[in-house]
Amino acid sequence: MRLDEVLERKFGYSAFRPGQKEIIESVLAGRNTVAMLPTGTGKSLCYQLPGYMIEGQVIIISPLLSLMQDQAEQLMMNGEKKVIAFNSFLSRYEKKQALTNLYQYKFIFISPEMLYYESVQSQLKKLRIALFVVDEAHCISQWGYDFRPDYLKLGEVRRKIGNPVTLALTATATHEVKTDIKKSLGILDCSEFIYSVDRPNIALTVEKVENFRVKTKRLVELAESLEGPGIIYFSSKKMAEQTAGMLRGNGAKRVMAYHGGMDQESRILVQQQFIHGQLDLICATSAFGMGINKDNIRYVIHFHMPLQIESYLQEIGRAGRDGKQSIAIMLYTPGDEQLPIQIAENEFPDKSQIDWISGWMEENPNSITNISAYEEQIKQLSGLTEIQWRIFYDFFERKAKSGQGYKRILQEMNGYCEGRIKLKRNSIEEVYRWIHHDNCRRENILSFFDEEKNIPVQYCCDICGLQFDEFIRSTKSDNQDSMLYDWKSHLEYLLIPSE
Amino acid sequence: MQRRPYLKSIIMYCVNELQGQRTIYSILHLLNGKKSSQTIQDAHLFQLTPFFRTFGNLSRGVLDQLAEDILNSCWMTAIDEKHYILTAEGKKELERSLLECPIPSSLNGWLYHSTSELFWKRITLLIQVISHLNNNNVKYLPIQRKRDIHEWLKGFLGTSGFVRDEVGVMLYRELGQCLEELSDINPAVLTLRMTGYNRIGLTAVQASEQLGISQDYYHHQFLGAIHHILASAKENSAEYPLINKIVSDAVNEVQLTLSAQKTYTMLKQGLDLDEISKMRKLKKSTIEDHVVEVALNDNRFNITRYVSEEKQKLILHAANRAGSMQLKQIRQIVPESDYFEIRLVMAKLGEGQ
Repeated sequence: MRLDEVLERKFGYSAFRPGQKEIIESVLAGRNTVAMLPTGTGKSLCYQLPGYMIEGQVIIISPLLSLMQDQAEQLMMNGEKKVIAFNSFLSRYEKKQALTNLYQYKFIFISPEMLYYESVQSQLKKLRIALFVVDEAHCISQWGYDFRPDYLKLGEVRRKIGNPVTLALTATATHEVKTDIKKSLGILDCSEFIYSVDRPNIALTVEKVENFRVKTKRLVELAESLEGPGIIYFSSKKMAEQTAGMLRGNGAKRVMAYHGGMDQESRILVQQQFIHGQLDLICATSAFGMGINKDNIRYVIHFHMPLQIESYLQEIGRAGRDGKQSIAIMLYTPGDEQLPIQIAENEFPDKSQIDWISGWMEENPNSITNISAYEEQIKQLSGLTEIQWRIFYDFFERKAKSGQGYKRILQEMNGYCEGRIKLKRNSIEEVYRWIHHDNCRRENILSFFDEEKNIPVQYCCDICGLQFDEFIRSTKSDNQDSMLYDWKSHLEYLLIPSE
Repeated sequence: MQRRPYLKSIIMYCVNELQGQRTIYSILHLLNGKKSSQTIQDAHLFQLTPFFRTFGNLSRGVLDQLAEDILNSCWMTAIDEKHYILTAEGKKELERSLLECPIPSSLNGWLYHSTSELFWKRITLLIQVISHLNNNNVKYLPIQRKRDIHEWLKGFLGTSGFVRDEVGVMLYRELGQCLEELSDINPAVLTLRMTGYNRIGLTAVQASEQLGISQDYYHHQFLGAIHHILASAKENSAEYPLINKIVSDAVNEVQLTLSAQKTYTMLKQGLDLDEISKMRKLKKSTIEDHVVEVALNDNRFNITRYVSEEKQKLILHAANRAGSMQLKQIRQIVPESDYFEIRLVMAKLGEGQ
């Protein structure tokens, strides 16, 4: 069967988006492939479609549980039954069940930490793996903005299960990161497909305002006048919540907050309401967006400064997937860079905490070989947050396995954390410089990825000059609930087939 | 403006029932639904079972804040460290606020706390699936993500013995009829939250805003409506076959604490309290706590082995005369019985209510 026919029959699309076909052909020809496609251009199709054309299983490594869950559900929604998301959401029993029946599935999503279990690896070895997919592959690189220590060992696992054909997918990767991906996975000879990170239909603007009060006022103004749907990103759950509440209080009823602190049911409902057009605006933290398929988002505003250019591109890349004109607005007040710096520093255990743990381990030598059993105790006494503990634990375990003494490990950890913080500070500085630069914002971002701007863009950025009218709402949205709610007719609508 | 007025009125209601005999934190344990003998017994003793685990997320910090607010308003006064009673003004305020926001009469946290959540997850997914089937649409994201709920649904639609096309119609009739019986709750508290074809349900926050009530009050009404459905279905299983089927495999009883379970097993093996106390190296009073917990949880448990029928009658009589669940007062009337015996009888009494 021809690729286009499979596309039509299995996915209902009549044409490929740029890059998809080339990547799929490369994979089908049995070549290891690194593909960089900007957010929102259909990365997942690049492994879904080949799955239907080759015998055997498609293994997909995915760094985030929520993302994995979304992708698995998307496939199921598409009518694919042989999908499993193998992660810590499954109960022990479900895991065992799934593991012995792995061969029955076609698409197997696995979190990296699951992959390192011997039992999982030995089951994988028995399979005929058609394709080994590493999603968000930039997580492999220490230079990447989203480094996951778990990802480092993927190359080793890949070798153990017999070097299956591999597809590494990412939205954004600098030259260094790309090199790391290839080295780490052991696919130096791979084919590369790199597509521009540029999204010409998204206008880029930065608005500098003098203080927080003015910024909030401007935000309200924008939310009330811009053509929706839109997303406003915040770095704090509380601010997202408060702003959504404030806008609702002002009469904009179709606004909700979304963040990781909400219960699962509410998160699903808000996400679905937004996708179905029942909401116009989401006040979100970075927890919102992964795996959300909504193609008519018209604007993305950043109320707080993002931590890296890459994540900024990911977030604004959720706008304009339909190809229509959209806008990204960053609001900046002097001193805004302090918050991301603080966030970055708080991610890692600091020197005094590590020193303290060193002393504690000296007094509790039994803990060294079994530190996971002391998790609560260590966390409580040293004040490590959940994220800090993860980093501490991962690093410690990794080094302890190679037989190093704890004193040395902790010493190295200090250096490691300092290095990581420095890296993050550099990334924040890059954003800072981008905000304060006075030449074309698009050119600036592209040069960050060793690209050049070589097509003319009508609505480019605030520096090139931008007509704001284009993005203003043409019709006043109707905030009134025009109909009275009648519970019985709603129930009837839900349960009784209409004629 | 007052913060969380409804939750405050619930706390004041509890304080009033406790009459200073327990600390304020016993209310926290009650609302959180802590499964300890003490909490379970207190819930029955002071007739606070409806509230059991109806604010599962309430934290100690928030409770402290609210208690302080109530103290500052002079609605409550301390009689001992962390023991409070309502002032005359507080009683008036409680009456006023309960008139404005009455506690849903169907609220029954003790009986239904474990079934409610399961019921809600199942029924919302079932409704979503029916609605999409009705519209011949198979492409949608399920509103519930847990695998066990999905597995249940598959089994339910596959083997329930109901004709697939009729499930929607049946559910419409059962839910409609059941919700119409509600006298003090607007059925919209449930239906607004339901998701179907091209129409995503509201979150709790959105629903409370649309109905113009506080989130706390909304929460109790939401639970009250579900408890009403579960109670109706249980009482009248012929009228509500489908609803019954949805929760047929759910365990309604509270699980015993692990320690009480051990004691119960040993009791069943015929050991007496002293023997168990010796073997488990626990105080006899602890073992007695376990027996009371068992009596509260298992309505087949016969207490005659520990309190003669004659004594049971005396204690019941005394409880009626004292018009109170206070052990002390009952003991004064029946001095020949000990606290263990009185608690056992009260445990059975609480259950009958």
